[in-house]
Amino acid sequence: MDKKHLLLTIVTPERTVLSGKPVDSVAVPAAGGELGVLPGHAPYVVQLKEGMMHYKDGPNKEFFSVLSGFAEIAPDRVLVLAEAAELAKEVDEERARQAYQKAKDKLSFKPADLDLEEAGAALRRAAARLKVAEFQRKRRRQQQ
Amino acid sequence: MASLRDIRKHISSVKSIKQITYAMKMVAAARIKRAQNAILSARPFAEEMDRLIADLYGELSGDDLYGTEAGRLFEERPADSPLCLVLVTGDKGLCGSFNTNLLKAAAAWMRANRGRKIYALAAGRKGRDFLRRLKGLDLELSHELVGIFPKVTYAHAQILKEAVLKLYDEAGVESVTLIYNEFKSMMAQHVVTDQLLPLKKHILEAGPERPPRRTDFSFEPQKTELLGALLPRHIGAQLYRTLLESQAAELAARMSAMEAASKNAADLIDGLTLKMNKTRQAMITTELNEIVSGSEALNG
Repeated sequence: MDKKHLLLTIVTPERTVLSGKPVDSVAVPAAGGELGVLPGHAPYVVQLKEGMMHYKDGPNKEFFSVLSGFAEIAPDRVLVLAEAAELAKEVDEERARQAYQKAKDKLSFKPADLDLEEAGAALRRAAARLKVAEFQRKRRRQQQ
Repeated sequence: MASLRDIRKHISSVKSIKQITYAMKMVAAARIKRAQNAILSARPFAEEMDRLIADLYGELSGDDLYGTEAGRLFEERPADSPLCLVLVTGDKGLCGSFNTNLLKAAAAWMRANRGRKIYALAAGRKGRDFLRRLKGLDLELSHELVGIFPKVTYAHAQILKEAVLKLYDEAGVESVTLIYNEFKSMMAQHVVTDQLLPLKKHILEAGPERPPRRTDFSFEPQKTELLGALLPRHIGAQLYRTLLESQAAELAARMSAMEAASKNAADLIDGLTLKMNKTRQAMITTELNEIVSGSEALNG
């Protein structure tokens, strides 16, 4: 390999989304803000929050929604352990919007047995997916 | 002796039973492939998780952990506090001794811990019904997960994980025991009684030999906090694996049970057909006899 690459692996409990794919750069939604990773990054373990991650592989850019997890970064590889990860094209925007609406309603309606923390987490998750879906749509329009 | 009509009826009913058992076998066989794949695809996550935890744990000393959220999951608790049982069974019967063996193991465990308060969590209808039927024990069914098989997802494991951790925090249980069927092979399932909490330290050190880490990682947030966030996920992953194992084991058990049932039905049909033919032959012979002896009496 003449050029430096990062080997990106994304695993979730239900499947392996990516396994050792060489990419140019990765950006992950770390707990303290978005974290961009280039080859040769200092070793780092970081907790992720719900959000959008993307990687760049030459001219291609690929987006994912990630729902909380961890990333282990070494100079030559990035390992993402997420509870769920979805490729942007796999996210169903309509469904994401419905989930978002439902979570929002639940929070504003405040039923007696509401677990605030859980409802908030559901809302953030839905928001992350929705964002990725909308982003994907915009990008598609730009390309056309 | 049964009449011809009775035997024919019997044969047709056995035939339709055979059809059903055969169909159930085929359904289980089709699903088991998916269940096995699910186990396989859950493995990388669990392995990476274990490695990360071991790495983190190696960086910390016992004092760092004391009193933190992560340390809580490791510490031993007084031996007279209540116990917690997570019983993973199937939702449906017709799978041989799958559920029976589990319930026997659960009953034995309860007998061993007689006199102590037990909080039970049931995954699977059969286990829940069993726990509900029990009387004369200090048992509280605190959570149940019914109708999840054969489509277990990580979300189910998460629900279970949350229930377990809540009990562990609030009820002060000494330990959490898991009873489930392990998927050994298509032909064999194996009842396992395992301790889920408190986490045993040797879990972390066990496993394949790891090369010593060369690089020093930085952590964000702090190590103990990170470990505190990781460990519940580790428990979730472990519960997920348990559910998947049990699911695959149930399907395998059902497949072999239904195969045996189909075979028995085929044997039964063979025997009954033979009997039917014999009866028919006997009837014809008697009739002939009657005709011949009748005509002889007339001619005589």
